[in-house]
Amino acid sequence: MKVGFIGLGRMGSGMAARILEHGHDLVVYDVVPESTARAAAAGARVASSLAGVSQEREVVITMLAEDAAVDAVVFGEGGLRDSLPAGAIHLAMGTYGIGTIRTLAAAHAAAKQTLVAAPVLGRPDLAASGQLGIVSAGPDEAVSRCEPLFKAIGRLTFQAGKEPEAASAIKLANNLVLGCAIQAMSEAFSLVRKYDVQPQVLYDVMTEGLFAAPAYKVYGKIIVEEAYDRAGSTIALNLKDANLIIAAGDIARVPLPSGNTFRDRLLGAIAHGDAASDVAALALEQARACGLA
Amino acid sequence: MKVGFIGLGKMGQGMTRRILGGGHDLTVYNRTSEKAGALASEGATIATSIANVCDGRDVVITMVADDTAVKEVVLGKGGVRDSLGAGAIHACMGTHSVAAVQALSAAHVQANQKMVSAPVLGRPDAAAAGQLGIVAAGPEDAVRACAPLFQVLGRRTFEAGAKPEGAAAIKLSNNFVLGAAIEAMAEAFSLVRKYGVGPQVLFDVMTDALFAAPAYKIYGKIIVDESYDKAGFITLQGLKDLNLVLAAADQARVPMPSANTVRDRLLGAIAHGDGEKDWAVMAREQNRASGIE
Repeated sequence: MKVGFIGLGRMGSGMAARILEHGHDLVVYDVVPESTARAAAAGARVASSLAGVSQEREVVITMLAEDAAVDAVVFGEGGLRDSLPAGAIHLAMGTYGIGTIRTLAAAHAAAKQTLVAAPVLGRPDLAASGQLGIVSAGPDEAVSRCEPLFKAIGRLTFQAGKEPEAASAIKLANNLVLGCAIQAMSEAFSLVRKYDVQPQVLYDVMTEGLFAAPAYKVYGKIIVEEAYDRAGSTIALNLKDANLIIAAGDIARVPLPSGNTFRDRLLGAIAHGDAASDVAALALEQARACGLA
Repeated sequence: MKVGFIGLGKMGQGMTRRILGGGHDLTVYNRTSEKAGALASEGATIATSIANVCDGRDVVITMVADDTAVKEVVLGKGGVRDSLGAGAIHACMGTHSVAAVQALSAAHVQANQKMVSAPVLGRPDAAAAGQLGIVAAGPEDAVRACAPLFQVLGRRTFEAGAKPEGAAAIKLSNNFVLGAAIEAMAEAFSLVRKYGVGPQVLFDVMTDALFAAPAYKIYGKIIVDESYDKAGFITLQGLKDLNLVLAAADQARVPMPSANTVRDRLLGAIAHGDGEKDWAVMAREQNRASGIE
């Protein structure tokens, strides 16, 4: 398959490597030269412009950190809308907002291109090993054309529907559930600490039974050890997601009280200088709120 | 061991049979005597009063529904405080407020008795099978003395420290974390529904990885199936527990925004007539709030 790839960050470089391993013809583009050098060494051709990464491609994947970046890549000079051939697919694999996905879908349709949204679940190590979860949505025919790529990148693909924004909604909803779980743990740990119980006891009780899952084991452990410096997903990055979640609720008219609590705590954590800490530092912010820190 | 048992509800029935099975000398008492009758044929002695069930016992277990009931049983005239021998233990195994546990503990200390708070995790089937989780807190020697009983009642004992109220704090926190998980799912499911996505997709995404745990599998499925009539734990019980959580938080000065959200949601569900439904019916209440039903 003739594939273009834009955005070779920690996630993108692992994904691009998997696509190459599966024998696809890959052209890559990134504004950071070092990242393209790695892909080139692995056998990718390096494009020097957005037009270059789009020409003659069947599918162009974007894996960018925020809505503004994907917006620039699609609508900027020589961007995807202008450069992608008619009938080709823009496979948007970053986590983007509902409003952005709608705008992209409409622009691509007008240019006789197709948007498939396929945000991924998992961290860079899973990207490198081809073990990501993928939530895909878009016209059936376009989604099935992307399947060889999903096979290279992921372990499992969840079909969310024909409207690309459905995949965004699922990804954001899953992130919401995680954010709320971390916030709930933060509150619970601060409560037991005030009653002189070791946090480890609550961790053991939770993760042995009802909550024997990675969300509680991974983030609960960070909270118990107060190891907020080993940042996986940062507070700042989570605020970006929380804003997308609240915006999605806003657009669809869905009040999200727990989502708002999650967002407010993230803001408080940033106000106290924890923007670069792991998202589990919500527990530190909760400790501050009750006079424990 | 010479054991007394007060409170033969669904949980107590299973627990007393486990104690008999463990070869202990058991006397039981229940306000309504029919429930005690069956146990007599299985080897238990039936007491006719609280004084009677405490007489000559090493440990008296209470497994009653709420704070009012346990206070009446312990502090009422001829209650456990007046009747239990010096040095004997009251193992309080219901889920009670921090304040009630503190009051009972103080009363027992004054009467030269010992109190162990040991609320359990698990439903009646787990009680009958001796597979409960037990969170135990109290003076070290008293907790150790109860170990043979915990062994027949439970699959694992979590030690929460020397203060009995510590066990209550852990039990309440665990219940709150569950309530918060249900609330988060309620918000997430309503969000994806508004974007036209089948709830099953979100269920699959959540339970495949980050949330592959009973809390999400059981309650997520109830929400997807909208099967709120098959109630395990009802909304009114959820409200009782959340009120205990917030009272504990109040006493210890711990702001808990998520817990307040859960409590408000439960109140709304009850206001709409769903008090006797499974507490996953919070999802229906969130749907109402979003104009879905």
